Amino acid sequence: MTEADSPLLEVRGLVKDYPGVRALDGVDLTVTRGQVHCLIGQNGAGKSTLIKCVSGLVEPTAGEVRFEGEPLPVGDPNASIARGIATIYQELDLVPHLSVALNVFLGHEQRRGPLLNRAAMHRETAALLARLGDEGIAPTAAVTTLRPAQQQVVSMARALSHSVKLVILDEPSAVLDDVEVEALFKVVRRLTAEGVGIIWISHRLGEVAQLGDRVTVLKEGRTVATELPPDTPVDTLIGHMVGGRMEALFPDRKPFREAPVLEVRGLTRAPDVHDASLTLREGEILGLAGLVGSGRTELLRSIYGLDTAQSGQVEVAGKRLPPGRPDLAIRAGLGFAPEERKSQGLWLDWSMVRNTSIADLSRFRRGPLTDRAAERREAAKHLRSLKTRPDAPERPAREFSGGNQQKAVLARWLLRSCKVLLLDEPTRGVDVGARSEIYRVIAELAANGIGIVMVSSELAELLGFCHRVLVLREGHVVDELDGATSTEEDVLRSAVPVHHTTAGGSAPRIPPETQTKAG
Amino acid sequence: MAVDSPPRNALAGWRQVPVQELVLPVVIVALFIAGVIIRPEVFPTSDNLLNVLTQASITGIIAIGMTFVIATGGIDLSVGSVLAAASIAGGLLADYGSWMFILGAIGFALLLGVINGLAITWGKVVPFIATLAMLTIARGLALWMSDKTPISLIELDILQQIGGGRVLGVPVPAIVFVLVAIAGWVLLNRTTFGRHTIAVGGNRSAARIAGIRSNRVVFAVYALIGLCVGISAVLLSGRLASASPVVGNLVELDAIAAVVIGGTALTGGKATVTGTFFGVITFALIFNLLNLLNMPAEIQGIVKGALILAAVALQRRD
Repeated sequence: MTEADSPLLEVRGLVKDYPGVRALDGVDLTVTRGQVHCLIGQNGAGKSTLIKCVSGLVEPTAGEVRFEGEPLPVGDPNASIARGIATIYQELDLVPHLSVALNVFLGHEQRRGPLLNRAAMHRETAALLARLGDEGIAPTAAVTTLRPAQQQVVSMARALSHSVKLVILDEPSAVLDDVEVEALFKVVRRLTAEGVGIIWISHRLGEVAQLGDRVTVLKEGRTVATELPPDTPVDTLIGHMVGGRMEALFPDRKPFREAPVLEVRGLTRAPDVHDASLTLREGEILGLAGLVGSGRTELLRSIYGLDTAQSGQVEVAGKRLPPGRPDLAIRAGLGFAPEERKSQGLWLDWSMVRNTSIADLSRFRRGPLTDRAAERREAAKHLRSLKTRPDAPERPAREFSGGNQQKAVLARWLLRSCKVLLLDEPTRGVDVGARSEIYRVIAELAANGIGIVMVSSELAELLGFCHRVLVLREGHVVDELDGATSTEEDVLRSAVPVHHTTAGGSAPRIPPETQTKAG
Repeated sequence: MAVDSPPRNALAGWRQVPVQELVLPVVIVALFIAGVIIRPEVFPTSDNLLNVLTQASITGIIAIGMTFVIATGGIDLSVGSVLAAASIAGGLLADYGSWMFILGAIGFALLLGVINGLAITWGKVVPFIATLAMLTIARGLALWMSDKTPISLIELDILQQIGGGRVLGVPVPAIVFVLVAIAGWVLLNRTTFGRHTIAVGGNRSAARIAGIRSNRVVFAVYALIGLCVGISAVLLSGRLASASPVVGNLVELDAIAAVVIGGTALTGGKATVTGTFFGVITFALIFNLLNLLNMPAEIQGIVKGALILAAVALQRRD
């Protein structure tokens, strides 16, 4: 492709500190015009923080970002947009009930006098969509009616509605099937042909060879390899990503007992979960694998009663649970650690003690009052047993790192002496160093007889220490694999839909965050 | 309280004492000194100060209930009208004596609070609208049930003792206010219900995952504020020796203002009964001073609005 004239974007020695975590620790990156620069790394490697620094959402602690040879003002998203940097985030930030055209021009609407000039916006949106090679989308359509891939194109069109020189795509392929990804590749190639630079963040290493011009690997906030050619073997890339210590990450599998502690039979909640059954034994770690949208999270939520199942049964230690009643599920011995830990799992302003005791406060009741000394003692005991750092149970959860916040959620269920723990992406937002500790904690809980059901997007994690892995596809449990002997290919073979669904099959889906925010 | 505070370690200093709980006492002392300087012959007399406390108590008791409602992220705009409706409901039972008045007034206020709670939880109507509707319903009930005429309670000696009497020189309403404030403090800070109230207001989804039945908590706080309004209705009617369908106008504003100036977050999840108590006293002193300075009512309204605006604007800063 185009050889570097003057670099479009230059990042030098970028450092970003959060309380307790150094998210970026000296990152270097150079992107030239017309280049597709792939950025890879494990979750928590610092990819998202890096692009937030470039797009101005986050102010770096140290280091320099130069755009077209000139320093980019830090921490000012409007400056980044004005200079021609567009970012398309993983969670699409479209307004679901507005039209495509209004979304494209959101924030810089075209006006005629004081009124919106809809005709002009429709016309220009149509032109932008044509430029992206996607005339199939009507500018007047509401965004909710579009498929995820089409929504992504709308986001791109929005980026192009500003005069854009650099487009950053954060895991664009995560919610797309193969055909849709191919269409997105075409769009990207059109843009690079116009001289636009692209930063493409992805977990799918196969895409790197297909699309990329250069590859940069991040690990634990550092650039470990940069300017790699796209034909770098996948093994080499993985080697850079994990630093050759993936195996040591995971604790050994301990034997589990025979007694079933959780039985799920024919659980259905249309359209997300269909006729799902599973049996979990004491001390067993059961992984749930599947693509985004396969119903993994929804299955956990239905078991726990956060979503009301339409049919099917859930039994905990032989006791049948009524659907839609998390409070009774907890009483029967279930515990749940949600994926959105900060928004659904914790009270960030509360002390770690309060966050730990909240699910079992009544046990500290002395007469009508709460025995706060006992509450503090018990909560601190469980937080310490999980080696929560810093050892300051009175400090608010906000000040703790992701891994230690997760420990507060786990400590909550230990304090409640639960029998089964449902974990949704337990290491999401946990930096790589702290992950192995979360794995060790989970394995220890299992060794003490707690049954674990764990959803994860990271196959290495599921195959690393789960006893068994169930694979979900389009809401059905389609496969059961032995954790120790199966490979990532085995999982993917079952997880990826055999046929490519068209508009009718995969109904338009707004990311769940947008839907549940109101509740 | 009964529970000893544990030995403080070096890290315990993180606990932020709410600004208002420190600032408001200073403001109260400053207002007091101002009063002594401006009207030394009237302000510092026990008559005037006890009068301040008595007037503060009617709003104050409601503000304690409002603290719980706002802690869940809700609001109750209906309290002023419910105050009138409860007074009239008691008044209709005046022939059967003071105790029946009390039962009727508190029972009716509780009932209207329960209806608010059901509308919000079971009916899924947002608190602002549900209680706005109740504001007009309760006022309508008060006017309709009384045929727009005040009901004399001059025969009810016990009731008048409660509303206007004194125990050891302290007006009964002031005593009741302090007792309700203490009970509210214990309920919020030392019971499971209080913690759940803050939990629901702070993070509804996390509360659900932790097994808290948010609807029950929300329902309970609206019933609780109904109870508080009922108690206020008894004290007010006793003091006036009559039940009037037009009392309680804009009491909701006074109560919300006291809660907010006290430091409870309108977004929910952060509440302080102590702050509310000081907020009530602060407002009462300010208006007493304005009265003593012969400021007309319209000026007082302007001052009140400006104070609320300033309090909320300051709260937004943290």
